[in-house]
Amino acid sequence: MEEIEVKKSRIPNLKEVFNYKDFFGDYPLIFLIKIISSVALVYVITEFYNYHNPMDSLITKKVNDFNDPDDLSFIPNSKIFILWGFIAGFVLYIFTLFKGKYKFLILFLTIILVGQYISDPALDWKIGDHVIPGKVGEEGAEKWTWKPIKILYDDKKGSEIRINEAYNKSMNLIFGSIPFLGGYGIWKRKGWAIAASVGLAIIIGFLYTPNSCLENYDSSYCGYETESEVKTWEEYLAGGVFIGMGLVIYIELAYAAIKYENYAEQFKPAGLDASLLTDAQKKGVSRTLMTLFVSYLVNLGVMLFITFIVAQGVININDYLSTTDGRIQDSIELNGPYGIVFTSLIFFMLLGFIRMFIGADYQTDEN
Amino acid sequence: MWSKKAAAVAGGAIFLTLAGLIRLNYLFISAGMVMLTFVVLSSFLDVWMPNVKIRRETSSDNIFEDGDMNVRFIVKNKGLGIGFVEIYDQLPPQARITKGSNYTLLYMRPWQEVSFEYSLKLPLRGHYHLGPVKLRVKDAFDLFYNEKSEESLHSFSVFPQIEVLEEQIIKSRAPKLLSGAMPLNVIGAGTEFYSLREFVPGDSLRSVNWKALAKKGKMMVNETVREDVMDVILLVDAREVSAVGGGRDTPLEMSCRAAATYAKQLLDERNNVALMIYGDTVDRVDLDRGEHHLFKILTSLSSAKPQGNLKLEIVLKDTLPYIPSGSPIILFSSLDDDHTISEAFTNTISRGYTITTVSPSSLDFEERMKRIPAQPLLIARIERDNLISEIRSFGMQVGDWKSDEAVNTALQGG
Repeated sequence: MEEIEVKKSRIPNLKEVFNYKDFFGDYPLIFLIKIISSVALVYVITEFYNYHNPMDSLITKKVNDFNDPDDLSFIPNSKIFILWGFIAGFVLYIFTLFKGKYKFLILFLTIILVGQYISDPALDWKIGDHVIPGKVGEEGAEKWTWKPIKILYDDKKGSEIRINEAYNKSMNLIFGSIPFLGGYGIWKRKGWAIAASVGLAIIIGFLYTPNSCLENYDSSYCGYETESEVKTWEEYLAGGVFIGMGLVIYIELAYAAIKYENYAEQFKPAGLDASLLTDAQKKGVSRTLMTLFVSYLVNLGVMLFITFIVAQGVININDYLSTTDGRIQDSIELNGPYGIVFTSLIFFMLLGFIRMFIGADYQTDEN
Repeated sequence: MWSKKAAAVAGGAIFLTLAGLIRLNYLFISAGMVMLTFVVLSSFLDVWMPNVKIRRETSSDNIFEDGDMNVRFIVKNKGLGIGFVEIYDQLPPQARITKGSNYTLLYMRPWQEVSFEYSLKLPLRGHYHLGPVKLRVKDAFDLFYNEKSEESLHSFSVFPQIEVLEEQIIKSRAPKLLSGAMPLNVIGAGTEFYSLREFVPGDSLRSVNWKALAKKGKMMVNETVREDVMDVILLVDAREVSAVGGGRDTPLEMSCRAAATYAKQLLDERNNVALMIYGDTVDRVDLDRGEHHLFKILTSLSSAKPQGNLKLEIVLKDTLPYIPSGSPIILFSSLDDDHTISEAFTNTISRGYTITTVSPSSLDFEERMKRIPAQPLLIARIERDNLISEIRSFGMQVGDWKSDEAVNTALQGG
């Protein structure tokens, strides 16, 4: 019998090109947690920049100082960089899912496309006919006349504008690095990236100086007219509570996605994927994950509610003490940041005191 | 106890609050306060943490190489607390989990009893233990936890793998008649009929077959099958040199598998078997038989470790006085790095013993790992072939055993 040679298809299998299983995961619940934590991240960052106008940041001032004094093209817009920062983090994750030579190919294509984008105007030359003065005729001719020549026109300025544009966009990425790192951390399951995104939010917030833009530039550049648009401290306090809650939700859900995915990993045969698990085993793991996650969500919901009530309580107590006539109001400046911190410290001290009595040290029995 | 996450969140919250004070940023202050409140309130959750007791059950006390052991955990919450419980059973590094996981995360409700199980495989013989069990009771957010290491150890042995042999390994020239002896299919004193032959002076009248006398008209006697048992000595080379290779592919591992297989068959045939393992000392399991004795031999083989460099001549000189005369000796050795082999064989054979050698070739492992260049490897092969030929020239059986072959084939062609 004649042997039939099976020819290998030239089109590579999707599995050999892209690790799509990592994206969808083995359990829909974990995929859902990632989506929820991504939404929480975008919400927190949006809220954060509502209170920290990037135009008032020291970073904006430094970039403008570095640029040409007449060039005020660096206008960081939170509506743009939050979304694109997150997309950039997500695309980086998608890039890591490509395998071997395909990863290299995409990197190579990206470099080529960026290079092409920047150099395109300069390379897009045209030829034109021009005349310039010159001596035409036999060698040694003395007579001056108009001489026709060909000139190459290129658009160097266009390229310079694009370079500047690329520079400004990359500077925007400093502000967008919070969603960039967060998005990458959530989907790639990198705890350090999530922690770094929170850390960066703190640093960027630290570099924020209210109204610093108006002090240095025109209101047309800054995007707001007068200092009266600055929010009141009550608004800041309320906003801070929501941002704090958002941060907690973001951190908790992002880490929950990592935790439960690691938990599901335990059931895979060593070095292999979950496709080797039987349907019953997969259902068992899914059921356990669902139980754990529902319990976790209930805990988180209850705890966030209590946290919100308590935090509001502390602020209101501070407000009450600072606005009520009496010795306390007169003795220290309660109606300010130091007063809030002072009130909350007393509150935490009281909680610690209660904790001493009701928080018995847990000991499991020996068996 | 504070987790790293709790420390990081609390640290971040304090930093936010202080940064808020420095920069007069109310937003930072309130966000930091919310995070700090979350951490402080979470610390109260351990008041309701479950009080957990765990029990481990295993499917068997000992397993053979590549055999499965099922481990089951029964976790009971003995209180009214609710919370997350993490359980991690520490395994030997060589263990491979084939089903389930040795780690689990549970959400325990009051008085709830939950069980989980996993199966593991151990590819290498030896003595191991499961545990201790690390138990962590924590809140939902991994901020605070209480950890405990339960000293619940389960010791077990992994015995060398035993194969079923198709043929009888060895026949003794010095059988002993004992109760429960087995027929050897050779003529001798026994109870089972073998054949008839003519009466010769000296034969007992009790063996005369009177029916055959009546039929043939001459005295015929019954011959019976000889029944006997042997004293067999298994000698395993566990010198340091026997660890060449890696994992299951070392001369010592192969020798142990072969010795276990041979011991099983010899004991099934009701022979007396002794085991001697030599390396830096000689470990002995004295002559005996039965299931219990097989257990002793397997346990001893599981304990064998490659160490020392005792030469075969010294081992035999030391042990021969204690071995019953004429008993067969089966040597399991790669025959490496021992210049006394020829002399040891000569001395032993001259005393009336027979030595059957099962020799796993360590050169195969070296070749596979590509640690020796081709030329020296060729020379080493020639030297090994010469040594095997020399032993065969004494009239002794030698099995040149390749690593990918079954124990059954070890003595074939020898």
